[in-house]
Amino acid sequence: MDGNIVGLPAGYRDIMFEDAALRRRIETEFASVFSSAGFREIIPSAVEYLDLYSRGNQGIRERAVRFLDREDNLLALRADFTPAVARIVTAHLREMPLPVRVWYSGPVFRKTDRHSGQYREFSQIGAELIGGDPPDADCEILDAAMQCLVMSGFPDVCVHVNHAGIFRGLVNSLGLAQSELAEVRSAIDRKDMRALGTRLEELGVNGSVRAQVSALSRCVGDSRALAGVASSIDNAESADAIAGLEFLALRLPRWRDRITFDLTEIDELEYYTGVMFTFLSPAHSAEVGRGGRYDSLMREFGADLPAVGFSFSMDKLGECA
Amino acid sequence: MKNRALIALPKGRLYEKAVDLLGRAGIRIPPAPDGSRKLVFPDADGRFDFVLLKPIDIPVYVESGAIDAGIVGSDVLREREADVYEPVDLGIGKCRLVLAAPAGVALSSAGSLRVATKYPRTAELFFRARQLHVHIVKLDGSVEIAPLLGLADAIVDLVETGRTLMENGMHELEDVARVSAKLIVNRTAMKMKSADVRHLITLLDTVVYENPGQQK
Repeated sequence: MDGNIVGLPAGYRDIMFEDAALRRRIETEFASVFSSAGFREIIPSAVEYLDLYSRGNQGIRERAVRFLDREDNLLALRADFTPAVARIVTAHLREMPLPVRVWYSGPVFRKTDRHSGQYREFSQIGAELIGGDPPDADCEILDAAMQCLVMSGFPDVCVHVNHAGIFRGLVNSLGLAQSELAEVRSAIDRKDMRALGTRLEELGVNGSVRAQVSALSRCVGDSRALAGVASSIDNAESADAIAGLEFLALRLPRWRDRITFDLTEIDELEYYTGVMFTFLSPAHSAEVGRGGRYDSLMREFGADLPAVGFSFSMDKLGECA
Repeated sequence: MKNRALIALPKGRLYEKAVDLLGRAGIRIPPAPDGSRKLVFPDADGRFDFVLLKPIDIPVYVESGAIDAGIVGSDVLREREADVYEPVDLGIGKCRLVLAAPAGVALSSAGSLRVATKYPRTAELFFRARQLHVHIVKLDGSVEIAPLLGLADAIVDLVETGRTLMENGMHELEDVARVSAKLIVNRTAMKMKSADVRHLITLLDTVVYENPGQQK
């Protein structure tokens, strides 16, 4: 027992002096960008019902740090900010004119494997724009994210952009059964393009669509690369999505050199419904944040509103500063 | 120079096959002088950096991003449940993960079978999918002698030829998984070292599928 007085539980740490000062500085810079862009801060409760995490991004619920309160309700330490924001906006919808712009900063807690070397407390900072439609809201949120990064001392940061609709449109045009779709998804998640091609062929998918899937699986680049894929796409949903990305780059000339269209990254397709962002620090070869449009999440909370947002890992920002 | 992609090669049964495959893809791994070499070494043309690691550690390194890519058996990969890309099934090091037991032990008798294995997570998933309740005993080596010594009733282990099983008086009850070596790639490296990593993928994909040569 004595050892537990001066020790820390596995997966947790204290953040000291210079590191703490660095985080404070980054947070202050972010706060000033958020404030001038019209985003208002919220501090969501650190404790939620575990059930909050049964909506939206799957896998969070499994990893939530859970406990019982005195009334035996199953609770969790905050495991993600976005569901909390969705809960708050839904509850206060009548008082808040749309669109709602909020930002947040604080710790989230997730179980990690013992001896995996991963922390169980993460620090996140991010923003959400709820009730705003693409393309305007997408441009606004990406612009805010890039400003935050550049203002707080990450001059070389870049963003990989994708759109969930491109792949979804293609897959929907295949007419596959649920189990077949799962296999196709699994090959895509692994980026095993050979297995994907073979499976699509076995499923009787025609050569033209297979060629489109293969073009997507290779598309990483600027507007020209995007245009190359656009010319081969023949379903409306994918074509609209590509047009949305082209528009994004057009509307944000300031960031155009930092935008890479990466249509190969199709993780979390169940969660995102539109644009998807991955923020990267080239100097450290590290991912520092993610974001995107998730129009179906608010509906699960009972308010049918479009939403787009991003979240940075303060831990990663601290390492890359 | 410093930003060459760093690739992990597995020590042990896969090593020679991996080096041979890379060679056929045009990536020549220089032989170690006197069996000793630097921790990190480039291929003969200096296109990639390599590091030799125990297979079980490779998924952890690649998932964390400490290493950009690696070659590792799917047995180890499944056991570690690493969140990485698996762009190429290399088709080398093929074998099977099987449930095996001494004569007289049947799967149906698994009221509370004790099963020894180096793959506790994979074994657990296998038995759970069959709704069988078993006790897993995790071992680090020579799993096949566990039933002989009375530590376990059955084993889940790799089988290449089946000879070791036979010599220990065991027979296969069921296939747990087909195993072969995979190229795995870190998710961020796929973006940040895109050119290097994609070059490696293309070279390996080509040699495995389009120009298999004298595939063993």
